[in-house]
Amino acid sequence: MNNADFLLFNLAIAFGVLSTAGYLLSLFLKRVALARISTWILLASFALMTVTLLLSVSKEAGLINPGRRDFFLFCAWSVAGIYLALQLKTKTRVLGAFVTPLILLLQIAAAAQQTGTVLVPADMQNSLTLVHLILAVAGEALFALASLAGLIYLIQNSNLKRAKFDSLIRLLPSLNDLERINRICLLWGFSFLTAGLISGVAFAGAAWQAGWYADPKIIWTFGVWVVYGFLLHQRLAIGWRGARMARLSVAAFVVFVITYWLIKICFATIHDFI
Amino acid sequence: MTAPLALREKLFAGCEEKKNLLAELLAIAGVREAMYLTTCNRVEILAVIDGCEGAERNLCAYPGKVGSLTTPETEKCLYVHREEAAVRHLFRVASSLDSMIMGEAQILGQVKEAYRRALEAHATGAVMNRLLHRAFRTAKRVRTETAIAANPVSVSFAAVELAKKIFGELNGKKVLLIGAGEMAELTATHLLDKGAKDIVIANRTGSQALTLADKFHGRTAVLEDINAELGEADIVISSTGASSYILQADVVKQSQARRKNRMLLLIDIAVPRDIDPAAGELENVYLYNIDNLQDIVDDNMQSRRNEAMKAGVIIEEEVKMFCDWLKGLEAVPTIVSLRAKAEAIVQTEIARAAPWLQSMNEEDQHKVAALIGSIVNKLLHNPVTALKEENIEFESAQLAAVTRQLFQLDE
Repeated sequence: MNNADFLLFNLAIAFGVLSTAGYLLSLFLKRVALARISTWILLASFALMTVTLLLSVSKEAGLINPGRRDFFLFCAWSVAGIYLALQLKTKTRVLGAFVTPLILLLQIAAAAQQTGTVLVPADMQNSLTLVHLILAVAGEALFALASLAGLIYLIQNSNLKRAKFDSLIRLLPSLNDLERINRICLLWGFSFLTAGLISGVAFAGAAWQAGWYADPKIIWTFGVWVVYGFLLHQRLAIGWRGARMARLSVAAFVVFVITYWLIKICFATIHDFI
Repeated sequence: MTAPLALREKLFAGCEEKKNLLAELLAIAGVREAMYLTTCNRVEILAVIDGCEGAERNLCAYPGKVGSLTTPETEKCLYVHREEAAVRHLFRVASSLDSMIMGEAQILGQVKEAYRRALEAHATGAVMNRLLHRAFRTAKRVRTETAIAANPVSVSFAAVELAKKIFGELNGKKVLLIGAGEMAELTATHLLDKGAKDIVIANRTGSQALTLADKFHGRTAVLEDINAELGEADIVISSTGASSYILQADVVKQSQARRKNRMLLLIDIAVPRDIDPAAGELENVYLYNIDNLQDIVDDNMQSRRNEAMKAGVIIEEEVKMFCDWLKGLEAVPTIVSLRAKAEAIVQTEIARAAPWLQSMNEEDQHKVAALIGSIVNKLLHNPVTALKEENIEFESAQLAAVTRQLFQLDE
């Protein structure tokens, strides 16, 4: 890590802090103009993260052995990128007040890993595991956004049910927009995760002869995949929508995060580096 | 607004009939600039007048003449604002703070139209032109810097607002009208304006439904079919005079299953209610009755009143700016006419003294002329300076008036 990298990384976090504060303030003060400014700040943070990641990749041929810091930075980058893309499509700025804290959290996690240790064990450093990593992270970032949209949906839904038309209800997006974000994120998240799992399985099948599928984290990931697949199926084929879908996608993500930590604490797995 | 409707009608009709109203206003002695504003709520005359009292009296009598009102009638409903208060009143009117529905945009258009009329008739001058431009500017500031017009204050618009918070865009949404009351019709009109389409009207009497269907390019249905129609609709507006529920909760529940749980907005503006309140507890069904909508309107009215306080600050700023400008203006013409009068006296006296002045040589003639000029300038110096400067003891307008009287400038 040199000076340029250090500066870029810290600037990215500073902008992350600013945009989070801006978005939260816009929510509390009910001012859309603040959210608009915060979007630009977030875009700046995203650009800085992009450059930081590109620098890391070019410098250390780090594409296939990212450091721990870059891994979390990549998570933050994915969420920010997906949110910004969604914002272009749906113009629902207030979502930012819920997304930026998550981005900031991931950036802080990255900052705590400044040691620059190589993340992936040597025997897994190849392009296939890199694809696996990127797709899985992007898929989970999309699930995170789906669940945030679901959370706002529940808030807005209860506002509307109570027929209380205050400034919060005006600030939050329409139910339809939130449902659309939820659907898009679930659909793409599931596609990414599926592709991520396939690349992981392809690597495991080639590199490790047997027994890898009994790994707790692999079983857990497969479980997540099944749960989200079920959700998507109910959404698209059966027609579950609205508050029920919102509740389920929030619950699915909460369970996802809790089990992730449980497994990390309780079991030794071949994915221990994440 | 203090005048009862019957008087306003007479006044309004009188203003409409008269083609040369502006010319008549300008013909009143002392009136320099004039315009008039008529809306369903007010008849107002704005005028820039000279200091004489007769002008104001004649101007006050004028509306009574136009509307053929008796003197007591005129006196009862007339209000007069002068100077700063008049400026403030106009700014408040243009910014829609003085309207029946505070914050409505229509009044600004009416003021603009009145001004355009006066402008075309060459009835306005420097003061009125600036005053009106400032009024438009103030109205714009109030609109952009406060949220006075932000939230709907009618029941039908409140329903549209709710629909937008549920569906986002209303494009292509299907509307079912049960009963064809006036409020339902108005709400449907707003919904269609926002992009809803495909309207179905179910009513007890076919003829009224047909008229409405014709108006909205929709179709009619009989009341017995509303269960089937419910499966198609996104927004239902119910306003029948029925004494029991027209739409039971379990009917809505069944139709929700048929329509794959899509979001359904039910607006029940009937009293007694048409829709079983239990329907509102179903998932993805949003039910609002007339009280819910009225509460929203009341809240919005309250927030408009709060915004009006902010608007008041903006208006005071603008009033001060305009009055400062006006003050500067008053001193200038007084100084000009004072100098002009002195110059005229000098010229007259020189002309009268011409016979003996001619006996002097040219150099001496110039010296005398310079002497006269210097005496006049010295005499005028102090009054002119006093007029130009802000005076603590006198308002500049007062000072100007006194100067005009002392030097008899108005004759």
